[in-house]
Amino acid sequence: MNKYRMCMIPAYPLENVQLLKDRVIFPYVCFRTFGESLRLVTKSTGDYPYLSYLEGAELVALPEEQPHMEAAVHYVTEHVDEIDLLFLFGARGEYMELTHIYKSLRPDGIIYLKLDINIDWANTLPLFHKPFSDFLHSCDIISCEGRRLQSLLYKKWQRHIEYIPNGVYYPLYPEAADVRFEEKENMILTVGRLGDIQKNSLLLLYAYALAFPNLKEPWELVMVGSVTPEFQTDYEDFCNRYPPLAPHVHLTGNITDKQRLYQYYRRAKIFALPSRGEGGSPNVFSEAAIFGCTVLTTGVDAAPDMTDNGRVGRISSDIEDFEGFAKELSALCCDPAYLARNFHEIRTYIKEFFDYERLASRLRMLVELQALKRRPS
Amino acid sequence: MKIEITDTRITLKDSSESFSILEKPVFPNFHHNVTKRPYISTYYEAGETIWGHCQGGLELLADFCHEDPYFGCYALLFRRLYPLLLSSSQAKNVIAYGQPANCGAYKVFQNFMTFLQEGNALTALAQSSFSFQVLSEQSCHAFLYCLDTHPALSAVCDALRKIRPGGLFLLYTLQDAPPAQLIPLCEKGERDCLGPCTVYAFTVDEALSAFACANSSENLIFSRAEEILKRAGDLQNLIPAMLAGASLSEEVYSIAALILQQTEEILLSIYDYLENDALPVLTNALKEAVLNYYVGVSGQYEITTYREKLTQSSEAFFSAVNAEFIKES
Repeated sequence: MNKYRMCMIPAYPLENVQLLKDRVIFPYVCFRTFGESLRLVTKSTGDYPYLSYLEGAELVALPEEQPHMEAAVHYVTEHVDEIDLLFLFGARGEYMELTHIYKSLRPDGIIYLKLDINIDWANTLPLFHKPFSDFLHSCDIISCEGRRLQSLLYKKWQRHIEYIPNGVYYPLYPEAADVRFEEKENMILTVGRLGDIQKNSLLLLYAYALAFPNLKEPWELVMVGSVTPEFQTDYEDFCNRYPPLAPHVHLTGNITDKQRLYQYYRRAKIFALPSRGEGGSPNVFSEAAIFGCTVLTTGVDAAPDMTDNGRVGRISSDIEDFEGFAKELSALCCDPAYLARNFHEIRTYIKEFFDYERLASRLRMLVELQALKRRPS
Repeated sequence: MKIEITDTRITLKDSSESFSILEKPVFPNFHHNVTKRPYISTYYEAGETIWGHCQGGLELLADFCHEDPYFGCYALLFRRLYPLLLSSSQAKNVIAYGQPANCGAYKVFQNFMTFLQEGNALTALAQSSFSFQVLSEQSCHAFLYCLDTHPALSAVCDALRKIRPGGLFLLYTLQDAPPAQLIPLCEKGERDCLGPCTVYAFTVDEALSAFACANSSENLIFSRAEEILKRAGDLQNLIPAMLAGASLSEEVYSIAALILQQTEEILLSIYDYLENDALPVLTNALKEAVLNYYVGVSGQYEITTYREKLTQSSEAFFSAVNAEFIKES
């Protein structure tokens, strides 16, 4: 098996917290799977304590005096011979010069671009701007995070785009290994920036109120995440309007302690994702799924992928339909047999199709294909 | 670039270089004038002559288009078009592709053509290769094609097929050299060049028609369809072997994935003509299923689901390929 010297360059300087997000984790798993080395090239934004989770990866701090991308271009020019596989994250114009330089100096090198876009963003990309279209053209492998988006991009860009979802790196979640359905409680969990327009938290709050009279057993609604002042007001209005429900709705605030967050995933039977839009499947979805939570989501781009087209979760198609979301929520709460069965189904599904180690193995084959394509027949 | 017009000559000039567009005809060649309009004024100075109209037309061209990068190309096109338009009083049908319909050069050409013969028509096509499909074969006397708009051999050949035998095909570009796939064709033409502007001129004869026929999009689609069916045939051997659980090397899976990737690329090359525009993505889904299946086998994971997905994806792919390229009676 070929071993590659890998380099990941973000469009903007990396923050510590991003070291454990898909932009870095996936290149890292690729490095563990088929890499000789991995360099994360960025201007420093402070300390990087999470680097300790990424054994073997090297963080290269770019000089402070230059803008990030200018310094990155300079770095690539100087070290191009040490980069066989270049990881890029985001369909961003900032990469235009970088890719041009890399491909000019290393025509045999491979560029992998993880798009990290949703359909709305895809529709705003300047495809008729030649330097931008050249940038996309210079990427040997491009992947997107949702099948619906993939179909759209095939029609729009007329080039091959791989489907590689945001996945899970299991070694970061040892707590998920021994979770049991019997430990779970009648808890509906959501995690996100509460009150953020995109997260649409109000939909869940009122859908819960609509579903509540239909529930045969008491169910708690736990909402984890930072709270905007507007949502705090909405929550207080809600409690005043529905006093019997107030004791069942819990706002925990932001939880930075991962162990404490995982305890909620362990206890919850249902994970609710009332978003208006997501770029692929969000990290909170895969975290919930590996803990065996059945997912109820609005019809975001990646909803069919997250639920295997509704098999291991439920989709309320209309992102603004309170009653539709409430109906799906009460149906799930009243079907304990499905929740118990789906605890195993969703965990298996995630393991099979969202495990970053398996996705990295597939990417390795795609990288090898590039070499095979270039081989004279 | 500018046009210099004197009493006897019209010249295109670019810094130190120049290109003679037209010279005023002299009396000995007067009998060559087979149009109703006089080349030059004879007994009386009254009335506009062809020469006078040429001068005025090229002045207008300079007014309309001096900032257009194709300005030089238009002048060179006019030079090539001029003898054809004057070859008889028969109405001429000229097709133009590549510039917007309100292009100033089109107005100048049409004005000159109408002056020569009221039935002359210059038709500007929309900037899509589909617009060729509304034209009959061998229906026009000349075709002006901007190579930079759609530099594909199949589209150029589609355009060529619309020209009558003996008609004129003019390819123009701002590129120094044509794309690799068009070099064999361009070598058959006469090349006029000044500064960044190049025009390749062809007179349509049997050899050129045969070349156009062999490389047209119709032929391209047939040959691509054959390539796709050949690859589908190869996959029909490989995938059942995988599903049968045969012990296969990584190379077999890589080859299957490569065949699928090539199939995707071929499908995308004829994407505009596909009835089922989901075929490329179905092909990608099968490639993904093959690779996932291999990851499952090589990682010694439980492969039931991967096998199911591979079965479903291959059925969807083969059925779509059959429906697109074979079609049951």
